[in-house]
Amino acid sequence: MRSLFAATHAGRAPLAVVRFLGLVLLGAVIGAIAALVAEGFVAAVLWLNDLLLISPRSRMMFEHPGPLVVLTIAVPTLGGLAVGLVHLAIPERRPHTPADAIAAVQTRRGRLPARAGGLSALGALLSLGCGASVGQYGPLVHLGATLGSLGARLLRLGRSEDNVTIACGVAAAIATAFNAPLAGIVFAHEVVLRHYALRAFAPVAAAALVGHVIAATLLQRGAFFHVADTAVPRPWEFIAFLAIGGLGALVAGAYMGTLLGIGRLARRLPLAAPLRPALAGALLGLAALWVPDILGMGQETLRFATIAGAFGGGELLLVLVLKIAATGLCLGMGFGGGVFSPALVIGTLFGALCAGLVGALGGATQETFVFYAVCGMVAVTAPVIGAPLTSLLIVFELTGSYALTTAALASVTLASPIAAQLFGRSLFDIQLAERGLDLSAGRGRAMLRATPVVEHLSQEGVILHPRTPVAEAVTALCRARHGEGYLVDEAGRYRGCVSLADLEAAREAMPDGPEPSPRVERVVPLARPVLAPDATLWDAMAALEDVTGEALPVVDAEGAFLGVVFESSIARAYLARGDELRREEHGTG
Amino acid sequence: MAPDRHSSEKTPTQGRARRAARRLGLALVLVTAPVTAEDHALVVLSWGGAYERAQQAALFAPYTAATGRQVSVRQYDGGIAGLRRAVAAGEVPWDLIDMTRSEAMAACDEGLLEPLSPALLAPAPDGTPAQADFLPGALGRCAVTHSIFATVIAYRTDAFPGRRPTRIGDLFDQQRFPGPRALQDTPAVNLEWALLSYRVPREELYRLLSTRRGLALAWARLDSLDEIRWWQAGDTPPRLLAEGEVVMASGYNGRFFEAMVHRGAPIEILWDGQVQEHESWAIPRGAPHPEAARDFLRFATATERLAELARRIPYGPARRSAAVRVTTHPESGVDMRLHIPTHPLNAERAVTKDETWYARTRSRIQALFAAWRAERDARPAQD
Repeated sequence: MRSLFAATHAGRAPLAVVRFLGLVLLGAVIGAIAALVAEGFVAAVLWLNDLLLISPRSRMMFEHPGPLVVLTIAVPTLGGLAVGLVHLAIPERRPHTPADAIAAVQTRRGRLPARAGGLSALGALLSLGCGASVGQYGPLVHLGATLGSLGARLLRLGRSEDNVTIACGVAAAIATAFNAPLAGIVFAHEVVLRHYALRAFAPVAAAALVGHVIAATLLQRGAFFHVADTAVPRPWEFIAFLAIGGLGALVAGAYMGTLLGIGRLARRLPLAAPLRPALAGALLGLAALWVPDILGMGQETLRFATIAGAFGGGELLLVLVLKIAATGLCLGMGFGGGVFSPALVIGTLFGALCAGLVGALGGATQETFVFYAVCGMVAVTAPVIGAPLTSLLIVFELTGSYALTTAALASVTLASPIAAQLFGRSLFDIQLAERGLDLSAGRGRAMLRATPVVEHLSQEGVILHPRTPVAEAVTALCRARHGEGYLVDEAGRYRGCVSLADLEAAREAMPDGPEPSPRVERVVPLARPVLAPDATLWDAMAALEDVTGEALPVVDAEGAFLGVVFESSIARAYLARGDELRREEHGTG
Repeated sequence: MAPDRHSSEKTPTQGRARRAARRLGLALVLVTAPVTAEDHALVVLSWGGAYERAQQAALFAPYTAATGRQVSVRQYDGGIAGLRRAVAAGEVPWDLIDMTRSEAMAACDEGLLEPLSPALLAPAPDGTPAQADFLPGALGRCAVTHSIFATVIAYRTDAFPGRRPTRIGDLFDQQRFPGPRALQDTPAVNLEWALLSYRVPREELYRLLSTRRGLALAWARLDSLDEIRWWQAGDTPPRLLAEGEVVMASGYNGRFFEAMVHRGAPIEILWDGQVQEHESWAIPRGAPHPEAARDFLRFATATERLAELARRIPYGPARRSAAVRVTTHPESGVDMRLHIPTHPLNAERAVTKDETWYARTRSRIQALFAAWRAERDARPAQD
């Protein structure tokens, strides 16, 4: 085994350079594939929306009002049923999301399952196609990540490369979907990798660039926002933008809370899993008859929210609340899809509402209306996805407006930290924490927590029967050159741990004579924590804090002794993990 | 409206010309087609005015010269109600109709038009097949686009001292550009401009107009105009502008060109937000001479004819091979390329009219428009 502390300059060897360039090339190839798949996905959603009378244009062009009402309810209901059935085929019975990609990278596990990824994408496609109030960027991100991971697996690359290719797929998906390559690169770093390393940067940048080029040549989409080029906010308005940030964090919290709360309620619902999204679809369709703005991704609603006067004040609040409820219902009840697009709509509506309030308080906001809308949008989306920089860059790349970006910066400055303090770093982190993966202390701990300690299980520990005479035990330990022995009875149950020193002391205390040597069980056992079979490296390190000794016994729930893990193996594994992280995060090649 | 109300008068000289042309064309026609219907003139329904004069010079006269068949032109202002009545009555008086693509699509859906095959069309001079030479979307089921025209805003150059409208939003800016406007008495184009004035991207126009909210915004913007003169016939807006009745008017770019270049009217075209439409040839179901109509259609959509037409009226030819052959106006010598809507400088922020959308929504949008107008017209009386 190579020493961990040997200084390595492998990065400078010519072969390493070639390997690194290969990784960059792989990033570009993954970027191209992810971009094409993302374009296909988006096109398929649009096609389904037109076909199933979800898009306003197709609804307008459909000339029969009666059947339209029926279809508005039937399409999301049946779509929900289909989505529910698709999700049954996924081992976890739930769609995979960007949270799974984050978990794979943060624990260095990598290897995203291709089948579950594909099925999740299919579920999301159906959900989006039949008008569920969900987003498309989450599925695109996860699909990109899955493709990246698949690439690394097909080429038999290591976990570290797997992580980089996951980030490549993610960056390409964002770069393509938003036509914003910088946002794609930053998103991959900010949300998925959560560290900055030159080693990952180059492949990720290559992927984002290729994705952008493909998006720019395949699809000429209109700008996301349009801004009156003359308007510049007055200085005092930045105070309003800051306030929008603070309040936006609360809106983001309400949004995430609704989502998670309905999810918890839905699990207790006495309803077969595939019927849950169907029920949500039916409710959504009913509500959409009254407020069609909540149907689908809501691109039209998003646009209108940036136009002063498109909504009345009360109407804004109504659509805002209904959109939060609709998205919570759809995602909580088991539709597949992202959280970002609805958050964009909710945030923009919230910003428009704030513009109305400021207007009512006497500040004229007609020209700067769009600033408020964008600030609200960023204030809500950044906390939800845990990506303040990405949100800013999306605004910058889509509008090309420096004034708008600085206004958004004001909002993000307050929104992200407040939401992080109150709710968590992002919705993904909250979801992962509920599943038992706590990323709040960063990647180092997450990785230790994801490394099972059983792989270092050893049978070399000296096992003593409790009724073994002390003298015999001393001999056995000395022969095995170990300082500790583990007492295991005839049923295989662990009974404690004794040290050679205590055994020697017991032998010394023994009066010379014909009486039989005392049994080992009479010796005072050491206070020694035991490890469960599923204990992680993190648990082992925590247990070692109060232990001076050789090894920790591993004991299952029934008390059966499985073996020991030597302290030195734990320390070595700990150092090895640390070294892997260092290499990945600070290495150049 | 009866589309055939304004059947054009023919001058006596045309009779002589026809006889001469027939003698000349006979030799040609004998080779290609039987001449049983020779004495029956081909009846074309078109739009009158400068447009018809250009068609006369670039298409009808050369066609008569080539085939000996006389072309008789009737005039209309668009709409398919007349065609519907004629088909229902079984008395279709026209062989060909020059109609907008949206109306052609609606008429085609109603079964009022003969289906047309792309095989009918002549290839480009260099042999490029017609399907590759025509612009995308030009070849419909029942209609063939020959030109791309635009509805634009024109304004009097002397109406706003020191400033000129540069964006379509200026149409609704009565503070900076005061004065009455003339708009076409249809929802189309007006709705697009009203919504564009909120600076929505043109790609999203029809998606947004498909929502209650989008339509409400558009009506509100149109409502904000103090004085609107509604026009129906295409020659009205240049006249209203020339006479100073209005300061801004919507209209067909060809008509404005005519007024500007040939009559020296003090007007200028605002190309921003121009709404492009396809103008197409269609053969009505039950046309008296369907075979001759097809023959004319092939003749009139040939590269050379389209280029000749664009030299006389500034409409973008629907064939790529024709667009590069457009030169100067035969009389005034004006470079026509700068005046056609499809020129890159003019088309920078052009809207392509979503004719599929209009074909399916026409009656409902028209009803909403009528209701809005009725409400608007009733309002001053209530005050």
